[in-house]
Amino acid sequence: MVVGDIATGTEVLVIGAGPGGYVAAIRAAQEGLDTTLVEKDAYGGACLNRGCIPSKALITGSGLAHEAGNAESMGIHADPAVDMGKMVEWKDGIVDRLTGGVEKLCKANGVNLIEGTASFVDEHTARVAHGGEGQGSESIEFEHAIVATGSRPIQIPGFEFAEDHVWSSAEALDADSVPDRLGIVGGGYIGMELATTYAKLGADVTVIEMLDDILDPYEDDVKRIVRTRAEELGVEFHFGEGASEWSEAADGGYLLHTETEEGEESTYGVDRILVAVGRQPVTDGLDLEKAGIETDDRGFIETDDRTRSAVDHIHAVGDVAGDPMLAHAASKEGIVAAEVTAGEPAAMDQQAIPAAVFTDPEIGTVGLTEEAAEADGFDPVVGEMPFNASGRAMTTGHTEGFVRIVADDETGFVLGAQIVGPEASELIAEVALAIEMGATLEDVAATVHTHPTLAEAVMEAAENARGQAIHTLNR
Amino acid sequence: MTVEEFKLPDVGEGVAEGELVTWLVAPGDRVEEDQPVAEVETDKALVEVPSSYDGTVEELFVEEGDVVPVGDVIISFRVGEDGDGGETEVEATGEPTRDSDASAAESTTGASAETESEADAREPATTSGRTFAPPSARRLARELGVDIAAVDGSGPGGRIGEADVRAHAEGGDGDSDDGPSVKSASDAPDPKPAPTPTDTGSGGRKSAVKKRGTSGTDSGSEAAAAASTGAAAPDSAGRETTLATPATRKVARELGVDIDDVPTDETRDGEAFVTGEAVRAYAEALESGAEATVDASTPEPSAVDVGAGHDGPDTGATSDPSPPGSTDQTVPYRGVRRTIGKQMERSKYTAPHVTHHDTAEVDALVEAREALKPRAEEKDVTLTYMPFVMKAIVAGLKEYPYLNSELREDEEEIVLKDDYNLGIAVATDAGLMVPVVEDVDEKGLFELAEEVRHLASRARDRKLKPAEMKGGTFSITNFGAIGGEYATPIINYPETAILGLGAIEERPVVRERDGTSEVVPAPTLPLSLSIDHRVIDGAVAAEFANTVMEHLEHPLLLLSQ
Amino acid sequence: MSQTQNLTVVQAVRDGLHTEMREDDDVLVLGQDVGKNGGVFRATEGLFDEFGGDRVVDTPLAESGIVGCAVGMAAMGLKPVPEIQFSGFMYPGFDQIVSHMARFRTRSRGRFNLPITLRAPYGGGIRAPEHHSESKEAFYAHEAGLKVVIPSTPSDAKGLLAASIHDPDPVIFLEPKLIYRAFRDEVPEEPYTVPIGEAVTRREGGDVAVFTYGAMTRPTLEAAEALAAEGIDCEVVDLRTVSPLDREAIIEAFEATGRAVVVHEAPKTGGLAAEITAIIQEEALLYQEAPVKRVTGFDVPYPLYALEDYYLPTATRIGEGIREAVEF
Repeated sequence: MVVGDIATGTEVLVIGAGPGGYVAAIRAAQEGLDTTLVEKDAYGGACLNRGCIPSKALITGSGLAHEAGNAESMGIHADPAVDMGKMVEWKDGIVDRLTGGVEKLCKANGVNLIEGTASFVDEHTARVAHGGEGQGSESIEFEHAIVATGSRPIQIPGFEFAEDHVWSSAEALDADSVPDRLGIVGGGYIGMELATTYAKLGADVTVIEMLDDILDPYEDDVKRIVRTRAEELGVEFHFGEGASEWSEAADGGYLLHTETEEGEESTYGVDRILVAVGRQPVTDGLDLEKAGIETDDRGFIETDDRTRSAVDHIHAVGDVAGDPMLAHAASKEGIVAAEVTAGEPAAMDQQAIPAAVFTDPEIGTVGLTEEAAEADGFDPVVGEMPFNASGRAMTTGHTEGFVRIVADDETGFVLGAQIVGPEASELIAEVALAIEMGATLEDVAATVHTHPTLAEAVMEAAENARGQAIHTLNR
Repeated sequence: MTVEEFKLPDVGEGVAEGELVTWLVAPGDRVEEDQPVAEVETDKALVEVPSSYDGTVEELFVEEGDVVPVGDVIISFRVGEDGDGGETEVEATGEPTRDSDASAAESTTGASAETESEADAREPATTSGRTFAPPSARRLARELGVDIAAVDGSGPGGRIGEADVRAHAEGGDGDSDDGPSVKSASDAPDPKPAPTPTDTGSGGRKSAVKKRGTSGTDSGSEAAAAASTGAAAPDSAGRETTLATPATRKVARELGVDIDDVPTDETRDGEAFVTGEAVRAYAEALESGAEATVDASTPEPSAVDVGAGHDGPDTGATSDPSPPGSTDQTVPYRGVRRTIGKQMERSKYTAPHVTHHDTAEVDALVEAREALKPRAEEKDVTLTYMPFVMKAIVAGLKEYPYLNSELREDEEEIVLKDDYNLGIAVATDAGLMVPVVEDVDEKGLFELAEEVRHLASRARDRKLKPAEMKGGTFSITNFGAIGGEYATPIINYPETAILGLGAIEERPVVRERDGTSEVVPAPTLPLSLSIDHRVIDGAVAAEFANTVMEHLEHPLLLLSQ
Repeated sequence: MSQTQNLTVVQAVRDGLHTEMREDDDVLVLGQDVGKNGGVFRATEGLFDEFGGDRVVDTPLAESGIVGCAVGMAAMGLKPVPEIQFSGFMYPGFDQIVSHMARFRTRSRGRFNLPITLRAPYGGGIRAPEHHSESKEAFYAHEAGLKVVIPSTPSDAKGLLAASIHDPDPVIFLEPKLIYRAFRDEVPEEPYTVPIGEAVTRREGGDVAVFTYGAMTRPTLEAAEALAAEGIDCEVVDLRTVSPLDREAIIEAFEATGRAVVVHEAPKTGGLAAEITAIIQEEALLYQEAPVKRVTGFDVPYPLYALEDYYLPTATRIGEGIREAVEF
């Protein structure tokens, strides 16, 4: 037992080791700052442990199983059996490798790691309650702090995650078996990705969504393609309904009760209920007000374009700082926060942040839609290339979807793109680069793209916008 | 529709050729008049070459990296579709401003100006505040503190490149950034002080601490003032380091002297060392600006008013013969002058003065002195009247001890002194000084003569010690040595009486001869006796005066003392 | 090219112990909780595993026994590094320290010398109850036969510890616990020593010499930085060894400016500032422009932590003291 409180001094205190936090910590250490990273759970945060990585692993696994079992047209006959437990184990192995990698990278860069839960005592002091085998707690005096505490799934009343049969995305990615019937509350990207995954794994999936379509922020023609495909996979959609409660069913399963706005009730028989209605920022226990920081009415920490909170030397990055709640946004913010702390002239000045939905087919978007471009005062010109005109797409057996590129008619500057189809998540990167560079349609069109690839479709779409498409009819 | 050729124009400054560094257009590009088509580097600068036509680029005749003589065709345009502007006399707008790694500021500004005139073609849609610039250009803008939204892009569509950012930063629009995306590196928070040795010195900062060696400016010495009078100031040492005890430093502070200026020959530890006396002497020396010219031929102490202080002299300047502007003179009222002033004030305002005048007929005294003079000279003594007067005074004091006293009002007592210590007022260029001759009753005439002469000389040489001016019980002021008959001398506090001597001269006196009164010339000595009426009444003063005069008029009486 | 690592003060102490124990088999550590527990401040972490229970000795809670055993060990040729858990607990071992540890060489006319390095965390600022914040280096400085060393940086900690262990005579090695973990610094990996009895200039300046040591070095530098903006240029000298004082360094720094301030958290009366003042007036009186200003703790028992911040010299209080010396 040590008597007294000997404070540890550090230049940068990073709270949370998710994609925002660990990136910030490593960058700060690279900038030569004495950096301390506090994590209460696991390195890599939600993304690595309960989100991005696990979901992609299961999506790939389920996708592979489904592909193999549905490739008769290619002359492949197979009826794969899926060992869910093993798939999860394989997923866990990846997660472990990555979390271990994060820890190693942090140490290699000289970041001081503390396992524990941090809270603010004042503007320059935090307290860390040690987790694991640590003793008690310690005080940390910091010059700068970066809050990267992330977010958690929103829990709706009546559907407590503590219940075995009520899942959040975390449990859904850790299941030891595929439920026969899966009810999904919420038709956003998490709900849709897991709907597709579980449908391919053989579950009977029902999606309950309060709005009248899935994937709210996306354009209609994009959504339609994904929804249609999902329905083909056997997913049942019920729009305009909200989950009200669950009850036990006589057959040992559960009943999911829903209600429309008008009060119409419905009931669905399910074995598991996945609630995926969104994520909320994690700030409880941080005692932010002791550091002089308030959260907004949705619980986020407001930041400026240099990731600073209301208190100059305390930054917030990632989901806790609000939209976009994306891991790569968190990482970019983490880098900016670290560089700003080091006195560099960094800022969140990106022209666009791409996003991806790993449904079937995938969606990849970046920048402005046609409508948004108009609203911004541009006179947009739009070019498209449907994948059913792409040779490579044909050879993958997946030709649903299209590449759409939006540009400013006068100057040709690329303003945005929406891609739905195979590998959309990868293809969107090229357009993100084009937007950042201030490239024009001509630049994209004039760049030679390898044939035969799906990426060619981006070039073709650009040509199409210029009225010079070869492989499609010009508008 | 014609094809117009375009030659490399004279880029100014008598340059004969340039290297075509970059083509900004390609065959097939639509160009507008004044749109930059190439970057050309001359000896002096990188300039942009503008198109003289509206049209389409037909052919490029020169490759990047080629050196082109002025006048060679470098590019041709197909013009005539929309009505061309025709060839205009265009000079490259680049005024070579500097050799630089960036493009010439002027030329780009020029191009920008032209660009702005082609508003439609080049202005990016800014309704949403969008600027089109790659990340590297944006970062550069931040580093240089430039608002990227204010930069004019020279790329197609107005795209902003790094060169544009640099040009903007140097060019002179020089907007300070308010843009949300731009902050300078100075926003970096201040690091905590490092615990390891930091070799931060003052970095050339001026120290706010009064230091040794900063003489003149900080100290209260009048050296500067004295110097400006043109009179010879005493030499200031102006050292960097001076050793002195803390007590000495205190004295220096009180006297307003910079210890580094005090001249000294002593050293300790290899450094100059200064004593309290040296400080005081230097301080005194500072008061008199000019070297005193002492009249050494008047051994008689000359005096004006009496009342010199017993303290050491303060710093102060005396006469200031060369004032700068106005015709009035301003003299500092400091030091000895002020001390005298204070003493006078104190004496006069404390003691009610009454002056009793009388005249002694001193024929016998004159004869007596004459008789003794040769004997005195044999002993190297200059015999003046002063010793006689002193003895006469002692005779009077013995009879009237109240004139040899001190009033101590707080103790409510009058102290009748047992000693006969006469102060003899001496006029020096430092001011009035009153050295004291002790035990006059016990000393002979010659001894007194010698002592008075010695003291007066030392006074004028400013070598008197304070102790030598203390302990007087009665004072004498011989203004007569300068001239004058009667005066109203001020008593030398804390004494209670003072005798002023007028000049011994032949004056008309009334004598009886043969029963008749007649006016005859005779040597007379006017006396002015001031007394403190708190202690001495006029009658006593008169009686005292009578006794003194009796002894002066009948010098042999002095032998009975 | 030597390798360095970024260590805190307590890590540097640990590294120093480890290095010295590796280099010399006669070096051993003893004290409460130093062995299996690795030390309550982690100063001896890992040593037990590497060197075993014979060289990392867990003792009973008995300070006089700890010191007394060290005396015996040292007399027999070992180089013990006893640890007293808090300097406030040295008092039960005080008799052993002053009556024996300090005197053995004299008593035996040089036949025995005791190469003991007595380590103790010392000083306040850590919100601890009684006995845990003592700053009584003066007690030991007053005893001839003892050296008293107080490092203020990680690199000094390791080097001075090594020098103390090498020293053939007893050294009281006081570690300012307030800064045990407050910052990191580059510490060479290889063995090295920092000379005992040698001060170091942490900041150069021409207006006033400020002498300090231990945890007070950082607020003193902070005050110096703040005053620089006012045109007051401070020379900050970290004494590092408090007995014997580096008289030369003190006099040299003082003579250059004629003004001095001494900063320590120990109470004023009888503290080292008094000794330094005496040295200054003895040897450099004629250079003196102002009284030596002492910025110290107060002559009270170390307060409980509600008042701790008022007791310890802060950068503000130090700055005021310097201003006094400069404006005299």
